[in-house]
Amino acid sequence: MSSISSQTLEKRHAPNDKMSLWSAISGKTLLDSLLRLSPISLVSNPVMLITEIVFFIVAALAIDPTLFYPLANEGERAYYVDIAIILIITVWFSTFSDSLAETQARNTANSLRKLESESTSKKIIVDEKEGTKKIVETPSSKLQKGDTILLEKNDVVPIDCDVIAGIAMVDESLLTGESTPVRKAPGDQLIGGSRIISDSLTARVNVNPEDTYVNRLIRLVESSKRPKTPNEQAISILLIGLTSIFTTVILGLLGLSIALNLGADLSVLLALYVCLLPTTIGALLPSIGLSGISRLYAIGIVAKSGRAVETAGDTDSILLDKTGTITVGNRQAVEFIPFEGHTEKEVGENAFLASWHDDTPEGRSIIRLAYEHGFIPRELNSLSLAESYEFSATTRTSGVKIRAGSGFMLPKGGLKTGGRERSRFRRKFVQESVTEEMVRGTSSSSSQFSSQEQPPVSPSEEVEILKGAPDSIRSMVKTVPRDFDSLVERISKLGDTSIAIERNGEIIGLIRLKDVLKPEIKEKIQSVRAMGIRPMMITGDQPLTAKTIAEEVGIEEYFAQAKPEDKYEIVQKQQSQGRVVAMIGDGTNDAPALAVADVGLAMNSGTSAAKEAANMVDMESNPAKIIDVVMLGKQLLMTRGAITAFSIANDVAKYFAIVPVLFAASIPQLQALNILGLGLHSAVLSALIFNAIIIPALIPLSMKGVSFKPTDTMTLFLKNTLIYGLGGVVAPFAGIKLIDLILSYLFHI
Amino acid sequence: MAEEKKERSEAESQLKSRKHSIARPVVGLALISLTACGLIFPLVITGIAQLFFPYQANGEIVQFDGRAIGSNLIGNNFTLPIFFHGRNQSQSASHVDPDITLQDAYSQIPRISLATGIPSTSLKQLVNENVEGTFWIFGSPYVNVLRLNLALIKEYPSIYNESLLK
Amino acid sequence: MLQPIQALDLVLLFAVVLVSSYFLASYIVRIYTRKPSWLDSFFSPIENIIYRVSGVDQDRTMGWKEYFLSALLLNIVQMLIAFIILVFQSRLPLNPQHFSALSWDLAFNTVVSFATNTNLQHYAGEKTLSYFSQMTAIQFLQFTSAATGISCGVAMVRGFVTNSKGLGNFYVDFVRSLTRLYFPLCFVASIILVYLGVPQTLGGYSTVRTVEGATQSVLVGPVASLVSIMQLGTNGGGYYGANSAYPFQNPTPITNLAEIFLMLLIPTALTFVFGQMIGKRRESIPVVAGAYSLFAIDLIIAFIPNQVQVGPGIETRFGGFMSTFWTVVTTSVTTGSVNSNLSGMHPLAILSAFMGMMVQSIPGGKGVGLMYMIMYIIITIFIVGLMSGRTPEYLGMKITARDVKLVMLAFLIHPLIIIVPTVVAFASGAASAIGVSSSSIGYTQILYEFVSSAANNGSDFFGASANTLFFNVSTALVMFVGRYGPLACLLAISGSMIGRKRTSGSSSIRTDSLPFCVVLVASILLLVVLTFFPFLALGPILSYYQGHVNSFA
Repeated sequence: MSSISSQTLEKRHAPNDKMSLWSAISGKTLLDSLLRLSPISLVSNPVMLITEIVFFIVAALAIDPTLFYPLANEGERAYYVDIAIILIITVWFSTFSDSLAETQARNTANSLRKLESESTSKKIIVDEKEGTKKIVETPSSKLQKGDTILLEKNDVVPIDCDVIAGIAMVDESLLTGESTPVRKAPGDQLIGGSRIISDSLTARVNVNPEDTYVNRLIRLVESSKRPKTPNEQAISILLIGLTSIFTTVILGLLGLSIALNLGADLSVLLALYVCLLPTTIGALLPSIGLSGISRLYAIGIVAKSGRAVETAGDTDSILLDKTGTITVGNRQAVEFIPFEGHTEKEVGENAFLASWHDDTPEGRSIIRLAYEHGFIPRELNSLSLAESYEFSATTRTSGVKIRAGSGFMLPKGGLKTGGRERSRFRRKFVQESVTEEMVRGTSSSSSQFSSQEQPPVSPSEEVEILKGAPDSIRSMVKTVPRDFDSLVERISKLGDTSIAIERNGEIIGLIRLKDVLKPEIKEKIQSVRAMGIRPMMITGDQPLTAKTIAEEVGIEEYFAQAKPEDKYEIVQKQQSQGRVVAMIGDGTNDAPALAVADVGLAMNSGTSAAKEAANMVDMESNPAKIIDVVMLGKQLLMTRGAITAFSIANDVAKYFAIVPVLFAASIPQLQALNILGLGLHSAVLSALIFNAIIIPALIPLSMKGVSFKPTDTMTLFLKNTLIYGLGGVVAPFAGIKLIDLILSYLFHI
Repeated sequence: MAEEKKERSEAESQLKSRKHSIARPVVGLALISLTACGLIFPLVITGIAQLFFPYQANGEIVQFDGRAIGSNLIGNNFTLPIFFHGRNQSQSASHVDPDITLQDAYSQIPRISLATGIPSTSLKQLVNENVEGTFWIFGSPYVNVLRLNLALIKEYPSIYNESLLK
Repeated sequence: MLQPIQALDLVLLFAVVLVSSYFLASYIVRIYTRKPSWLDSFFSPIENIIYRVSGVDQDRTMGWKEYFLSALLLNIVQMLIAFIILVFQSRLPLNPQHFSALSWDLAFNTVVSFATNTNLQHYAGEKTLSYFSQMTAIQFLQFTSAATGISCGVAMVRGFVTNSKGLGNFYVDFVRSLTRLYFPLCFVASIILVYLGVPQTLGGYSTVRTVEGATQSVLVGPVASLVSIMQLGTNGGGYYGANSAYPFQNPTPITNLAEIFLMLLIPTALTFVFGQMIGKRRESIPVVAGAYSLFAIDLIIAFIPNQVQVGPGIETRFGGFMSTFWTVVTTSVTTGSVNSNLSGMHPLAILSAFMGMMVQSIPGGKGVGLMYMIMYIIITIFIVGLMSGRTPEYLGMKITARDVKLVMLAFLIHPLIIIVPTVVAFASGAASAIGVSSSSIGYTQILYEFVSSAANNGSDFFGASANTLFFNVSTALVMFVGRYGPLACLLAISGSMIGRKRTSGSSSIRTDSLPFCVVLVASILLLVVLTFFPFLALGPILSYYQGHVNSFA
């Protein structure tokens, strides 16, 4: 289990140099922090506003002490100046941390924008004078309503638009869940996120994209009027409550001092007041929330609101899609299994042929496995003339029909096929080094073998090879090998999938496909469980397969043979048991579940419906990040709690520092409480200085967050309470004494 | 429109009945609780107490020589040197503390012995016989001044009858 | 320091209290959940008559506002009745001593004091009140304020019960508190007290001639019935000015122990009632552990100095040990009865008494103490809970900004109504008018007066000597706000818990665990210290360092 801290997250997402805390410090930041010192901009932060008001009073005290007689003493003017300076620096530390957090958030937000603007569209510009058309590559986010765009084969529709010319087949499966392509002709509507699979279209944009998702969210952060999250609100009220109590205390002491003639100095009373005020958390509260959001940006996630990040911390159930989250998007062929009378080579070669036109990752992995074993079929060359059968949902098979023996043997050392086939071959292998594109998180898609190629038909001596789900193949042949069923079952017991190969009506063997776990997923799921969060897996796979994978990664609860639509019910059922559910989704049929889930993380590659329904979007479309999001949420809450507790606990020491000297002139016996042995003047100054410098000292903590090891709630609670609660009581005793020693050494105060 | 009016008047009457329903329970319960807590309960207890424990219920009045001379529980002001004296009453919390500590009692023995001629040892023995206030692991010992003095009179009737007649 | 046998005394006493209150708790739960019981055949007919006469719909449940307003209104009407009785005392029956009527301000102070369960007394009962007043003003309000307090406490608990529909019906709770809890318990307690020597008579004061021939008045009256409710109801207002130091109110060391037992019984039982009513018995653990750990801390502070057997202000039959112990108990459960004169107490014992009244839930007054403890649990969970990486939740319910607001309001009321009048008392000269010196001791006494009023405790240094317009009116206002302000806040919190979404709570902080209980105690101390430290420093703490020097310097 690795400790979760922003550093490890940063390392994983290298391009975030801007995340660095100190690089956010610039002249602009400094100027901004000074401008924020104006009382008007401090209104939203009552603790700091009061501190500034106290500064003004002490400054007046320093300018003309006689105004405050008998609460002030002319001889103490220098001392009043010292106190005033420390007070205004305290306020400045607070505005500085605000500026810093905002600069940092803006920097990371900008780097996100780049991620977003990667997609471009072909905008058609008509020059009316010359009557010519020009096609310009434009960032999709820059499109306006009324713009005309060209959509060609394989293009993704960037935004909702109307078809004005051309006819094409469009894949809307991501939005509707319907895998059959839809024909689109002029007058039809195109939904943003769908994909052109044949021909080309001209379409007119019918909405304004100015409010793209990310843009809207980023604007939320930049505004300093960012709405407070529920916990921030509650803490603010706690701080106001404490401030009111301490105001009562100080006014009471002032009154007593006058009524009983105890001779307290106003400046000392005010110093005590500021020390008691929860200035530390008051100063850092805004920046903690902001930097939490920055940290999310840094891992490429945009949150709809700060509230969503907090809720992520409260998650106690995570619904994980098996495909894409726990396993890499697709299965890999690992073994060719021949039936009686056939060889492994034979199975491999036929599998090679049947998969040649199959561009799915499974298909590619079959060819790679065959190639690695040297199972290159002699029919390879005639493939260009072969007729391929596309995957069909009714037969659940795909295959090829070729003329046997028309090709030539592949010489050792390389392929001498035509240029087209060669490049295809290369592509199949090169592909593996590229980051897997995340396919839709539904298992049904992963078993869809399809080919989009339409090669010319070969005339004679036909060989037909089919591959497909064992039960489909089984129903297509007359005789079934004896051990067919037992073998298929044995494979599925391993959690693997089998594909049967049939050649001219005879089943010759099976291909075993294996699910491949994502790197680190096991550790991540373990850390989730350690935090008391229940991971759940949903998959379209057979129960046996699902069980194997679930057991392998340590998930107890799984939903097999599930459709994306089932997510909604699962989420609702969990919520009815009082659980806070996080989930991921990208398709339109995930949208209802994303909307009801407490934390819904949509993939940027997904449909806009899903992105609208979710409360966070992962710009890098990596579903496994849902776990990081939960951890970040927890870290945010912890940081806020830790600094709050620390700030409040600090007050004990400050009482012991200042109360003994408060009435020093009239009640010397109270020196018995001066357990730190502080000097008369340095006691107040030390406490005030400690109170001020603790703010910048905690800026790194507030911006990077409390680091923690994933473990159960009670351990975290106990550990953090010891560090920040008990530490908060003890640390200022040491700190104040240290400052007192330094002051008396340097200035002989 | 008519229905709306009807609804409103219904709501108003409900409101009225609610107002009524606050006043009646409040006044009703106030009077009932006054009678039950302020009269019935203390009177019932008084009746039972007088019936079964009249001595305690009336203040544990001590009879001596045919007359009431005080309460067992209330400090009795003894001033003559022949008696054990109570505490200086302005020092106690009740101002009628009926008891003194053993040390206090012992310290008075020489004076009483001198005034009455009763030997110190006998007096000390008498004090010890009248120690109370401890039971099992609880309490600390003390003596009740009135009871101690009455025991003194009972033990040495000749001396005290003579002294008291003076 | 304590002797081993004294420590044993305490352990034994607490064991008896805990065991008996545990059993009493199940009975109390049955009263308020209205479970059918064999007692119904006796009580139900009586209660039904009461409901019918006063027009109470016993099946109607109330929201927090209605519950609170019903309680407040009933209490105000009761105050009015008692006020009329006190100011017309001279014309009313059962006044064998022919005491005159009370002044309006003393009567005002007294009725507010008793209706708020405070029982601060600016009079000496045996010299001021007729038997009729003692019964129909004092005992009456002692019963009703206790019933009001426990009803509100139980109502608050109802808000935390899963699937609860409302806070219950105040009138029904009030009636059942009297018929099924206080009358039976007080009946038994009164009879036992009479047997042990507490008078109960309506005959006038008897005059006797002592052995030496002097005359002496024996001040008797209906004392036992009053003492039973004043201790069981954590009221604390005595029949006599000297309260439980007066021998007729507390004749022997045995009655002393019995009365301590009575004081602790119901507040401790309520700590168990909480867990039983919400159906999670273990949730009583932090309430009990929090209360009794703080109790232990209070006792340690109070028993640091050596205990004298008898000194000024201490009764011989109780001795320093039992007097100090009583002081800690009476302030912890905010009863306010005293068996000694507080001026005879060591500054550290006074400090401990202050702690009890400032915390208000060790285990606190019946009902209200429990409410305060729940409030402390909520604020503790809020402050430290975030550190576990989750939104703080109690019993699976998220703590919202509104909860924090109400808790902080309840917290703020306390220092406000203590500190402001203390300053005013000195600044206006009201303190020196009753002979209070401007010294740490005088200041302690004034501070104590208002802390005791605000906490609805009622013990004080002054007694009848504070019977001035200023102190009568100021403490009455403090008592009123100190009672109904926090009550409204806490009922409002509870009311908002009804229907609140509950998480499974499987990964929230376990409030029944030892670490949480430790943190709870620490944070209660922290909050109290943060609010009151400088004021205690000028009072008992300074007195301690000065060694009873009667000045500030």
